[in-house]
Amino acid sequence: MSNPPIGNFRRMVRQTLTIARRDFVATVFTPTFLIFLFTPVIMLSFGAIGGFGASSMAGGTGEKMSIVAIVAPAQQAAMRATDARLRKLFSPNDQPPPLVMEVPGDNPAGQANIAFSAQGSDASAALYGDLTEPTILYGGHGRGDAAYLAELAEGTLRTTGGSMAPLSKATLTSLVHAKPSSSGRRESAYFTVFGIFFLTLLLAGQAVGTMAEERNNKVVEVLAAAVPLEAVFFGKLIGMFGSAILFIAFWGTLVSQVHAILPASFASALGDIGPAVGEPAFVLLFFAYFTMSYLLLGGVFLGVGAQATTPRELQMLSLPITVLQMAIFGASTVAAARPDSWIAKAAEIFPFSSPYAMAAHAANSPTLWPHAAALAWQLLWVAIVIMIGARAFRRGVLQSGSGKINWKGLFGRK
Amino acid sequence: MPDQLAISATGLIKKFGDRNVVDGVDLAVPKGMIYGVLGPNGAGKTTTLRMLLGIIEPDGGSRTLLGHDRPREASDQVGYLPEERGLYPAMKARDAIAFMGALRGLDLKTGRKRAVALMEANGLGHAVDSKIRKLSKGMAQLVQLLGSVVHEPELLVLDEPFSGLDPVNQERLEALIVAQRDRGATILFSTHVMAHAERLCDRLAIISGGKRRFEGTVAEARGMLPMRAHYVPHHDGAGVRDLLPADAEHIGDGWRFTIADTGAEDVIRKLIDAGFGISGLSIERPGLHDAFVRIVGKAALEAGQ
Repeated sequence: MSNPPIGNFRRMVRQTLTIARRDFVATVFTPTFLIFLFTPVIMLSFGAIGGFGASSMAGGTGEKMSIVAIVAPAQQAAMRATDARLRKLFSPNDQPPPLVMEVPGDNPAGQANIAFSAQGSDASAALYGDLTEPTILYGGHGRGDAAYLAELAEGTLRTTGGSMAPLSKATLTSLVHAKPSSSGRRESAYFTVFGIFFLTLLLAGQAVGTMAEERNNKVVEVLAAAVPLEAVFFGKLIGMFGSAILFIAFWGTLVSQVHAILPASFASALGDIGPAVGEPAFVLLFFAYFTMSYLLLGGVFLGVGAQATTPRELQMLSLPITVLQMAIFGASTVAAARPDSWIAKAAEIFPFSSPYAMAAHAANSPTLWPHAAALAWQLLWVAIVIMIGARAFRRGVLQSGSGKINWKGLFGRK
Repeated sequence: MPDQLAISATGLIKKFGDRNVVDGVDLAVPKGMIYGVLGPNGAGKTTTLRMLLGIIEPDGGSRTLLGHDRPREASDQVGYLPEERGLYPAMKARDAIAFMGALRGLDLKTGRKRAVALMEANGLGHAVDSKIRKLSKGMAQLVQLLGSVVHEPELLVLDEPFSGLDPVNQERLEALIVAQRDRGATILFSTHVMAHAERLCDRLAIISGGKRRFEGTVAEARGMLPMRAHYVPHHDGAGVRDLLPADAEHIGDGWRFTIADTGAEDVIRKLIDAGFGISGLSIERPGLHDAFVRIVGKAALEAGQ
């Protein structure tokens, strides 16, 4: 007469997916989803915030940037004098990075390359070879600094040889495909944190009202009778996550094509920004951490929203979460800028900031194993958040018999 | 015997705050029957049903549903129509029915096919592709009921299924319930409208004040009250009252009185012998309504209400 009996776990998975499918369809196949899809126009305002953060980041890291000249000791004094003279031509805000002089070793070209990738060293441009025909390497942002080094070479020759000195003919080489610099990694970390934060804020916030739909339609009784509330909650999260993925796929496709229309110099500048773990691993980790961030924050939004009976209550309840999210974002940006600080470690461990901070970690450090531990830790908290949300709903709403929130019994003994 | 029971509950208790909304209710619902849970508003019927289905946990007592101590494990074999009807307004009627079946393990494709067949069989064929928000309240209610039977459950639990339906749809619903029973399903439904219970129930329980006050068949419930006679004399003289039992009431042209265990023959014979004759005589069996009022009223008196 009925369907054959199946195991509890399989049943729960099936029920979860049934709810997820319903929510996905109900969300995506509506005209309002199109409006939602184009909300990233708001990105313009967020972009301003992001730009401010990035500029702060650049300001914070500016002190560590340098230009490197690998020249013979006999020419170093003349070059330093030329540098001092030329710097007077620049306003204080437009000064080139400090000049670092190195004595040429056996392999000056390798030495110049190391200046871009060595730990603690962050060159924007590096000069090596004979000053009459020097080679100048430069990173993403370093074309201007490379030109300055060329001027230095020219000036040094004139200082040592007078007006009879031959003109210097420098070869400028861009290091577009070089490993990202440490500032590039930090910028990458910042953009990662910002990206996950923005997407989570935009997409997970939707979950806050989804249980309200069931409560208003009185469908919740039908669901609660047929399906464990944990499956209802998780199904709703997955359904909303599906629409979030659709959103990301749409905008991701557009954004991925942007570089094709950018000027070459801008594309070259972007080339300096990159994650320490490498791009393929980073893409996977970004997605994994976004998923965790979405499920964690979405779970909290869903659980809190399920307690609300009116739109006003929804707004009031979601405000503290948004404030908490901003605090998490702040801590995570610190983690991006200062990956070895205690704030970074704390942000990596605290479950709700962990996805952001660990994504920044992936941008800053090439070690992969901490990510497996972090993802397991975050998944555990997703389960905890969903269980607490479902329990709160069962005790606070279903058990009360009145439809009002039963705060007293919410976390009491079952 | 337990194998023959679709539902078994012993000493179910549920408290809301300090109040025992359900206070030690026992239920034994045999398989293949239509079983009614009757009671006045606020008696604890809905709370009892919700505990039986595992929507809320009891604070005391135990229950099994289709042999499972955890009702959730029998979820796929159960259909449920809650008192507060609820459907997604933007869904098409057919999809709503299929969705409810999918929650209980029926695949969507089969669910949609069965939904169309069920809707056509119940006079809703024209509304298969209509969105729920376009349907009348009665039609939406019927759609939800069809959603609770689309997976052909072994047990169907209906909470106040007739409320809000017009007489035509009430009759349709009664037919549907009987058809489900004939299919082999067990039906448990709550109501406070006695006429439906009287027509449908094989057995019933009456709950009042959170306690079970009666359990048995409709006939047994009605049998709790004595039969009454309605007698109309040829000519109503002053002496008629003296020959009738003490509880006789003068109603219209005649008299109504309780028939003693020994029967009404003696009283009638005396009336004829006295020359009052018989213009009309009917024996009235008490209805379920009377039994219900008596049982609930007695319970209220006991509770000091």
